[in-house]
Amino acid sequence: MTNPTLRWCVAAGAALTMGALAACSGGTPEPGEDGNASEGSTTAEIVFWDPYPQHAEGSAWDEHVKSCAPEGSTIVRTSAPQTDLFNQLTTAVKEGGAPDVVLLDNPMMPEAVGAGMLATAEQAGIDTSGVDENLMGPGVVDGAAYGVPFGSNALGLYYNADLLSEAGIDPASITDWDSLNAALTKAVANGGKGITFSGVTGEEGVFQFLPWFWGAGADLSDISSDEAVAAGQLLSGWIGEGLAPKSAATDNQSAAWDLFLTGEYAFAENGSWFASAAAEANFEVGVIPIPSKDGGVAPVPTGGEFAVAPIQSENASDHYANASSVIACLTEGEAGFQTNETLGYLSAKPEVRAEQATQSPLWEPWVGAVEGAQGRTTDLGSEYVDASASLSGAIQAALNAAGDQAAVEAAFQDAGGF
Amino acid sequence: MTTLTTRTEAPTSPERGTAKPKRRAAHWAAIAFVIPLVIYLLLFYAYPLVQNLTMSLHRFDRGTFINGGAPFVGLEIYRDVFAHPKFWAIVWQTTVFTAVSLAFQYLIGLTIAVFFHRGGFRLAAPLRGMFLVPWLLPIIVSGTTWQWMMNPDDGILNTFLSLFGADPVWWLSTDNALMSVAIANIWLGIPFNLVILYSGLQGIPKELYEAASMDGATPWQQFRRITLPMLRPVTLITLLLGLVYTLKVVDIIWIMSMGTGTSQTLATWAYGMSVGKGASGVIRYSEASAVGTVLLLAALAFGLIYIAAQRKQEH
Repeated sequence: MTNPTLRWCVAAGAALTMGALAACSGGTPEPGEDGNASEGSTTAEIVFWDPYPQHAEGSAWDEHVKSCAPEGSTIVRTSAPQTDLFNQLTTAVKEGGAPDVVLLDNPMMPEAVGAGMLATAEQAGIDTSGVDENLMGPGVVDGAAYGVPFGSNALGLYYNADLLSEAGIDPASITDWDSLNAALTKAVANGGKGITFSGVTGEEGVFQFLPWFWGAGADLSDISSDEAVAAGQLLSGWIGEGLAPKSAATDNQSAAWDLFLTGEYAFAENGSWFASAAAEANFEVGVIPIPSKDGGVAPVPTGGEFAVAPIQSENASDHYANASSVIACLTEGEAGFQTNETLGYLSAKPEVRAEQATQSPLWEPWVGAVEGAQGRTTDLGSEYVDASASLSGAIQAALNAAGDQAAVEAAFQDAGGF
Repeated sequence: MTTLTTRTEAPTSPERGTAKPKRRAAHWAAIAFVIPLVIYLLLFYAYPLVQNLTMSLHRFDRGTFINGGAPFVGLEIYRDVFAHPKFWAIVWQTTVFTAVSLAFQYLIGLTIAVFFHRGGFRLAAPLRGMFLVPWLLPIIVSGTTWQWMMNPDDGILNTFLSLFGADPVWWLSTDNALMSVAIANIWLGIPFNLVILYSGLQGIPKELYEAASMDGATPWQQFRRITLPMLRPVTLITLLLGLVYTLKVVDIIWIMSMGTGTSQTLATWAYGMSVGKGASGVIRYSEASAVGTVLLLAALAFGLIYIAAQRKQEH
């Protein structure tokens, strides 16, 4: 570039482009506190995001959602996995083009609220009455409700009834960790395999670990406690003694479920969303609650999504009116019942849940688990994500220790950082 | 092109008066040709780079990312990242992953290339095609397949090892993960090395070998004294491209182990933090940008070394 005109022009071009870019990025819209569903009216197109890419277009869920469009509107539905959905929502809110309704995984709620991404339930005209307090927990920040959980799933211990009767194990006898360990040992001694669970790195593995963690009496505010180590030791010991597959350290919940479906494993820790799949397995499947260390039912973490209305900077009232209408449809009356049945969830409202249980015996063992479930973020709020990250590191290290007590202890004591 | 023709024409033109506006018009034409490229470079190269750097100098979280107002913290993020208890371990793992991958990809690729180049093998063409398969498969497929083969409980690799009485290996455990993802990555990189080195071999004049064998050089001497020196430029570019690819590998590692244990590299670390995946669901825009800058500088350093090496060769 020896030519002066050329050089000048390049510089000018650069300045112009930079200026244009600055103009684009400089004017980030400040999400407004204004707007109210009662002041708006529904629009022709309603944008709906959910984390269920497995329910493709034309599936029962897809049609159920679209049938909730108010008169004169159509719902445009998009799906992405949990984390991707959350990140896409972050960008969408930043750009001022958020969807009308999002179904957001419940442990993400405090962070979403903290980042100023969600409208309050009041603002968006979302009715939260009649919802169980433990399920509502993650969506309440500083006394204000954001969105509403429509249903919940829970974790339980599935068992292969055929394998257990062959080995002479009575599932009803499993009430604490000792009796569970005895049952696992017996199943393996009888030529079967023990238990499948998901210890995969990240929130999914933590979700599966929490029933043992809480069942040992540990608390999320101190993940290096003796109780926490005991829970880690339990799972680590299973791997060390060959009662659980080593792949548990990398299996997600679907992979762990597939292992159980081979019919070789006696037990599987997994979620209520597999209840209908369990009924169709080619062996008889039963469910018991996850036992706590010294007896009794361990609290499981609440699973499931919140229906929320993201903050809008333009025509907020209309967007909130859309959210109000669609969320009301999905959570109330006959359609609210269908929402849960379609997803394999139990309703967040006790009377709807009772109706689900009477209509299908499949649900009966899960009602107790959902009602005793604990919100992951209820105690720590937005700090939960950090605790979860540390816990995830500890779980990985503990599973890799394969029963080595000193290593498991170190795993929980060293946990932390990013 | 226009500049070139006018420049050669201008001095020969007898009428100076008309030459000047013509020349000016040519300048504008040249500028018009360059502008789209400049805008493209600025939009898609300079802007993201500047943005990345800015991000690493401000402390961003989800809230400030959306609403603005991330505080400027200077080099604090870099200090945090360098002081992270795992930082140097991750740097070491990245180095091992890259060095081991490059060395084996190159050696195996070269061996196979020489084998095919010697010719006289009827199945050569279809076989060479088969060696390209790892390149053509989507990484999600090959990654999942490797993970499945490396299953610690009843994977096919352990079954194979047990035939020789070896103990089963927990391939993707915290300690072994680096080795396992490196094995998969070597397998992925062989076709690339094979193709480039093979075409490099074809560029070596046959006469050299003929002359050498007349002089009584053994095949090994021919390889050392002719093939290797003649392949030097191709080797350099293969290694450089391989290095840049390997430094930023995320997909194969992520699919197999999600960057757990020793398989965490700077690239997977940055990726996990930038999207809130992996062990931590916390999104760390700033830390991810800082690690990204480190990676960029590393790649740049090797790029400069390459240019220096090339210069030396030309002189």
